[in-house]
Order: sequence, then C-alpha cells, then structure tokens
Amino acid sequence: MIRIVNLRHRIVDIPDLAVDARHVAVIGPNGSGKTTLLSICSGIEEPRRGTVRLLGRAPAAVKIGWVGEFPDRTLLFSRAYDEIASSPRFRHRPCLETDERVRAAAGTIGIPHLLDAKVSALSGGEKALVALAAAVVDDPEVLILDEADSHLDGGTAARIQAAVKKSTAAHVLWCTQSMDTAAEADYVVFMAGGAVRHHGTPEEVFTSLEETCFYPTMWRIRR
Amino acid sequence: MRVELEDLLLSRGPFTLRGSGTFEEGVHLVSGAVGSGKSTLALLLAGLLHPGSGAIRRQGVSSTLLLLQFPEYHVTSPTVAEEAGSWGLVPDDVLARADLADRGDDDPFHLSRGELKRLILACTFMRDPDLLMLDEPFSSLDCAAKQKACRMIEERGRGITIIFSHERAVLPRVDAIWEMEGGILTALGNVPGAIPRWRHAPPYLAYALDRGARPENIRLEDAREAICRIQG
Repeated sequence: MIRIVNLRHRIVDIPDLAVDARHVAVIGPNGSGKTTLLSICSGIEEPRRGTVRLLGRAPAAVKIGWVGEFPDRTLLFSRAYDEIASSPRFRHRPCLETDERVRAAAGTIGIPHLLDAKVSALSGGEKALVALAAAVVDDPEVLILDEADSHLDGGTAARIQAAVKKSTAAHVLWCTQSMDTAAEADYVVFMAGGAVRHHGTPEEVFTSLEETCFYPTMWRIRR
Repeated sequence: MRVELEDLLLSRGPFTLRGSGTFEEGVHLVSGAVGSGKSTLALLLAGLLHPGSGAIRRQGVSSTLLLLQFPEYHVTSPTVAEEAGSWGLVPDDVLARADLADRGDDDPFHLSRGELKRLILACTFMRDPDLLMLDEPFSSLDCAAKQKACRMIEERGRGITIIFSHERAVLPRVDAIWEMEGGILTALGNVPGAIPRWRHAPPYLAYALDRGARPENIRLEDAREAICRIQG
C-alpha cells in the first residue's frame, strides 16, 4: 500500500491518495511534479509537509531501487560491473553472492556483454540499462523508475517491462511519457500542476484523457 | 544541398560502424536499437568524430548543428536568458518559442528536464542551420511538447534535417527512413515506399500495416486514415 496524506512539497500538493496496486504508472505533462513526487517516495527528498508511507513505513525505512532519467548524473563507478555491484557491496554482501547477483541482474536486463565496459563509453540507452540493473540487483521492496524508458527503443523497453514485471518488488512506481507503456500498468496516476487530476485503472484514467494526446496510440488506432 | 556518405567506417573497441548513402534535402528519420550507433553516426555527420576510412561529403552545406541527446551538455550559461543569448539569439524570442517566458532569470539546471529540452530545441531551430541533426529530440518531452517539436521539424521547410530517434508515439511527417542495426546504416528509401520495409515501425504503424493498410506517412493520423480508407 502506498499512502500519501497532506503532502505539500514544492509544486506537489496531494491531500490524500491511497494506492493498493503493484505496478503504478505516474504520468502527466512536463513540470507537473512527477519527479518531485518520485523523489519523495524514494526518500531522496524529505517533504516540507505531510507524509508518505510505503508498506506502512517511511520511505527511508524501505529498501528502494531508483532509476532517474539522466543516468549520467547518478552513475558513480567507471565500470558497469562495479556500478551494478555497488548496492550489494555497500550492504556488505559476501563477494560470491554479490557476483551472482550482478550476473543475474545483468542477465535479466539483457546486458551481460556490457559488464566489463567503461560506463563513459556506453550509449545513453545502455547507461539507462546499467542504472536499472543496479536498481534491481539487491531485490528492492519498491522499485521507482523516473522516465527510465525515455532513452530506450521499442524492443529494449519491452524487455525492461518484462523484467520489471518479474521483479520481486511489492510496488513499482513508474513515471513514463509512453502512454502505451502506462496502459499496461495496474493503476495510473495522472498529475498536472502538482496535483493528482485523475487516478484509477488505465481504463478509468485514459477515458477521461480521450480528447488529449495522452490517450495511448494503440487504443486510438484500434477504435 | 546534400550529404553523401561513401563507405564510412569507424571502429571503436568491439564496435564498428559502417554506412553509405545520400541525405538529400528534407526530413530523414534514423531508427535503431540502444547501442546500435545512432549517436555515433550523428557525431560523424556533425564532424565531431572522424571516420577511420571512407568519406562524408557535404555539398552546399554552410552550417551544421547537432542537438545532443542529453540537453544539459549544451548548457554554458548561468541563466536561461543568457543561455539563449549564448546561441547568438534574442533571449525574449527564444523564451517565447520555448514557452518559458517567465523563466529567463532561472538557472537552466533548475528547469525540469522537459523544459530544458524545450529551451535547447528552440535555440537549435532558431539558428536554422542547413544541416540539422537531432539526437533523440523527443525524449523527456510530454506528448504536447513532442507534437510541438514535430511541427517545428515539419515547418522548417528547408535544409537537411536528420532525426535519430526511437520515439514510438508522436512522430513528424518525414521524407525518408534509415535503419541502424549493429552499427550498419541502411537506407530504406523514401516514404511511403519505405514504410512496409521499416522493421522499427512504431506499434500503431505496424498494426495498420498488418491490417493491409498503406499509410502515406508515419504519423498516428496517417495510420488511422489508411485504416479508414481500407475499411471504406
């Protein structure tokens, strides 16, 4: 359960929101507060007012995997393997277990061939994949993806979607500008101007967005 | 005006890029998977990388501009207005075009990622170069801003515009399609003839093709119109 009460932080203003779904898509125009909300939910930022509870706990007490849209700003290590290994190493997991986890995560995300690569030599999309492998490597309870699919092609994005579905995380909060991706979620939250304008199943939310460009292209073409 | 690639070859570690073909005036779309070499090709065309062998011949091209995939690499100034000015443009005009009229005094890094992309896109189009390369111009943008970027591309009306993108929902009208796969550039030819051969076609276009429709171009509305035509 994701529970938000009286949240006010920068532009974000959410009086009350309870979401009991696993895969939650957060959508909305640029500058609507999606990243701010995801930063609070991931524990990166403390809200000025109000509370967020994930699985009944404050975000800082939850094991979270987070991927931002600009992996260049967040990748810490120069080799892909070391980047992916960072959270098990920071948690002092044994070397063998760390190695197994890194290889398993790289396999799921489809990047075993990049493990020895220098991060600086990777393409934008490949960096996003390394960041994603680093986020899932230590089995997070909640996985938060902030437009991580923005630099991925169709085939790669589909593979990521499948990997995310398989992950053991109790919640996946996925902010995306691909409405066709959002349409696959269990629950959709549409934000505008810092507020939640619509929330519900994809059918409920996209029905109210039918007149806008936020309507999924595959729904539009099949009508 | 044209850009000719002749037996272009660039090797970096295990990666090799190869390509031949001619970019005529108009809008070209280069699609390809992550790591297939799209950005590397853009750097080569912009003259920022040099091929190991082969040649790039620019005929009648007197100005070239490359919009980088990550807009923060363009930023050189402490405020949004100064950033616009650093492109040799009138800041107020840029801010109006980017829908950032009241943000002139802000730090460019305090803009949201979509807002920063809008700013750099506006600067790029207002410079109006002969050869314009756009590396993932739609990433980070919401659908309304993507539609606006499409209009800017369509309304350019001159020069050579090359879009490197994997966008799957909001695309502009284009003249030619190219594919990058495993470092190899293939010209699929002009639209609409190239559309059925386009393996990276977005889902809505693939859906229309599967139903036997023959879209005139690659936009969602082209796919819908084509389906309406065969359904009578």
